[in-house]
Amino acid sequence: MLRFLFRRLLVAIPTLLVVITLAFFLMRAAPGGPFDTDRILPPEVVAAMEARFGLDKPLPVQYVEYLGNVVTGDFGPSMKYQDKTVLDFIKEGFPVSLKIGLSALILAMGVGVTLGSLAALRQNTPADYSVTAIAILGVCVPTFVTAPLLLLLGKAVDWGLPSGGWNDGALPNMVLPVIVLSLPQIAIISRLTRAGMVEVLRSNYVRTARAKGLSEWTIVTRHALRGAILPLVAYLGPACAGVITGSLVIEEIFQLPGLGRSFIIGALQRDYPVVMGVVILYGALIIVLNLVADLLTALLDPRVRLS
Amino acid sequence: MRNLLLTLSVLMVISGCAREDGAPARPACPQGQLCLHRGNGAEPVSLDPHRSSGTWENRIISDMIQGMFDYSAAGETIPGMAESWTTSADGLTWTFRLRDAQWSDGQSVTAEDFVYAFQRILKPEIASQYSYLLYLIQNGREVNEGTAPPESLGARALDARTLELRLINPAPYLPELMTHYTFYPVPSHKVRELGDAWVQPGNYVGNGAYTLAEWRLGDHVRLVKNPRFWDAENVCFDQVYFYPTNDATAAERRVFRGELDMNADIQSNRIQYLLADPETRPFVHTHTYLGTAYLAFNQGPQVRTPALRDRRVRQALAMAVDRDFIANRLLRGGQVPAFSFVPPGMSNYVENGPKAFYADWSLERRQREARRLLAEAGYGPDNPLRLEIKHRNTPDPSLMMPAVQADWAEIGVQVQLVRNEVQIAYQSYRLRDFDVADAAWVADFDDPKSFLDLQLSTTGQQNYGDYANPAYDALLLAADREPNEGRRAQLLAQAEQIMLDDAPIVPLYFYVNKNLVSPRMTGFVDNLVDQHRTRWMCLRNRGQ
Repeated sequence: MLRFLFRRLLVAIPTLLVVITLAFFLMRAAPGGPFDTDRILPPEVVAAMEARFGLDKPLPVQYVEYLGNVVTGDFGPSMKYQDKTVLDFIKEGFPVSLKIGLSALILAMGVGVTLGSLAALRQNTPADYSVTAIAILGVCVPTFVTAPLLLLLGKAVDWGLPSGGWNDGALPNMVLPVIVLSLPQIAIISRLTRAGMVEVLRSNYVRTARAKGLSEWTIVTRHALRGAILPLVAYLGPACAGVITGSLVIEEIFQLPGLGRSFIIGALQRDYPVVMGVVILYGALIIVLNLVADLLTALLDPRVRLS
Repeated sequence: MRNLLLTLSVLMVISGCAREDGAPARPACPQGQLCLHRGNGAEPVSLDPHRSSGTWENRIISDMIQGMFDYSAAGETIPGMAESWTTSADGLTWTFRLRDAQWSDGQSVTAEDFVYAFQRILKPEIASQYSYLLYLIQNGREVNEGTAPPESLGARALDARTLELRLINPAPYLPELMTHYTFYPVPSHKVRELGDAWVQPGNYVGNGAYTLAEWRLGDHVRLVKNPRFWDAENVCFDQVYFYPTNDATAAERRVFRGELDMNADIQSNRIQYLLADPETRPFVHTHTYLGTAYLAFNQGPQVRTPALRDRRVRQALAMAVDRDFIANRLLRGGQVPAFSFVPPGMSNYVENGPKAFYADWSLERRQREARRLLAEAGYGPDNPLRLEIKHRNTPDPSLMMPAVQADWAEIGVQVQLVRNEVQIAYQSYRLRDFDVADAAWVADFDDPKSFLDLQLSTTGQQNYGDYANPAYDALLLAADREPNEGRRAQLLAQAEQIMLDDAPIVPLYFYVNKNLVSPRMTGFVDNLVDQHRTRWMCLRNRGQ
């Protein structure tokens, strides 16, 4: 187990390095620079700014210097938001994205597993078809459509929920973003649970449990569910990273101060250090969460051996 | 199922709570205090007046620091830190007497704070984007380019409360110019002590109505009233929150829900809709603004389509654009069709300024004349002129460029549209990689010079089309040297007329400023410069 962990972490280093390198050079290859704005700056000012951020050095030198700084935990200052460092962005934005993302995932798990199990138990009934329909809709309709739709609905029925803003993470401010972010996840999770459950319900050990005369409730919750959610656990690693990093559209629509919004603004304004910082964080997050998912699968399923 | 029911009931409870107390979702205001929540458009890049460049930063900084001159609620230039001032006969030396005022930490505001600020913003390593506004001060350019020491700048403190400025040419617009934050003082004692960190919350010291309490990235900037401000007794709001509201439609919802008291923008195509509804109509504020949207023709040494060097071709293209359709049918936000570069209402200018010679012609007549001019230049159905318009992918240009394309097709010009991300578009303009560029200019200060200088042959990159006419340059230079305001305005107007006749640009429409303001507010006055200091504002029936 420890050896497995160690090896996976060791592999993570070159993976991250590739991510950093690609992001660094792709970002620089994009046309337009951080100082191309409607007010064209005198050449002396541009030169002073470039010197300040080391942009006057050759690209390979900048790359090596950047890597050196990242290793020591220094992501540098933002080129646009000059009073702030990239770490400020991460420190202030990440908790917001994390809170929304995890809340959405918890909600999606609760609703998705319930719906999926329900569909599996009532296979080929109207209940099953409805869940399938919801799932297809959830996957197909993107969040940038559901969010405005919900806002419009909110205006019509006036349920009293704020239409945007963070307000220090107050519960009413989180309701709509969390629901919107969880909808596609509910869809996928319910499909995965249904598939897993259908398979498990046909397996020998469930048949044994039935033969023992256990109640349907006990069979499902004690025996079937554990096996049925195995594919789900494997999915949850990337999904977790997905909801935390994928809330950028929602952050924009609901005007939340998350990291995704910084990422979009950073990319559009060619704020190289901010984009790099967020990419590295996202990359590391995906690697770690995938690892956690693998470990969890092993814990839940005795058939999986970590080697 | 149990989970589902549980989740649903939790959600219902949440929405029930929010509904019952009825108060809009916004940070609690301390008992007995008044708080203002302003939608501010974007996240401030910096709160250091020497590192800022956006109107949204200006709104925050100008609530915290007051310059020699300030704006009244109606947008007129009024004395700020200045108590009185005199100008020498040649208009080159200005002497200001400062009012007795304090920084928020109790130190006196001195003439030295101004001198220090001017020297600092011009330092090459500060890399201020707006430092060129101070080139008017003797040696300003040299200090900024690093060829003269900061001490050689024509700004000195005669005593603690007297500042002397020596200019390179008379500038009757200096008070207007000094309302700009690049001319604000900074607390020299703090900046010397803390360096760049002086702008962080907890360190920030200002002489304005408010001072910085908190800055949460992407969330809000919170200011609290500065009890040491010289006019503090007339400041109504105790706290003011500035929110980055990049999406004007989302901000609109928040204003109507009472989560924000005002927002500094309204999406153009929403205005008619909002005005039609009696409930939303009182929120809408629009006013002409000192900004012009225009097209620039690349006609200089790096020309891509040599036809654009021909004045007849440029005139033909300029007159064929149906501005009325663009302003009144497409944008519909109160924008005004433009036939001049300098917007109407600008200070220090002639009444009824110059206009393009075809301004009063009907569209049909303009199209006829345009076809004739093109034919004269050798273009017609057998030899059509082919052009490319490069434009930004923001909503308004994306909406109107196809209209320009159609207008030019009417006179037989074949146009290809190239839509670019904003940063890429500006890079292309800078590199002169375009035939026709979509651009816009908003005045830095309320004087025609802020517009006309753009078309000087010496302006460099910002003169996108590389327009160069020695007669135009000479008139602007003469205006710079002219101490008499009336004669100066005449010279500027003559220059603009020459430029409009040459048609290096196509003025399209004049901007409007668009604010969404709750009718509960008082003290918000629509104005030409779109400057609205929080200290003029209050709530109707305050205290209720």
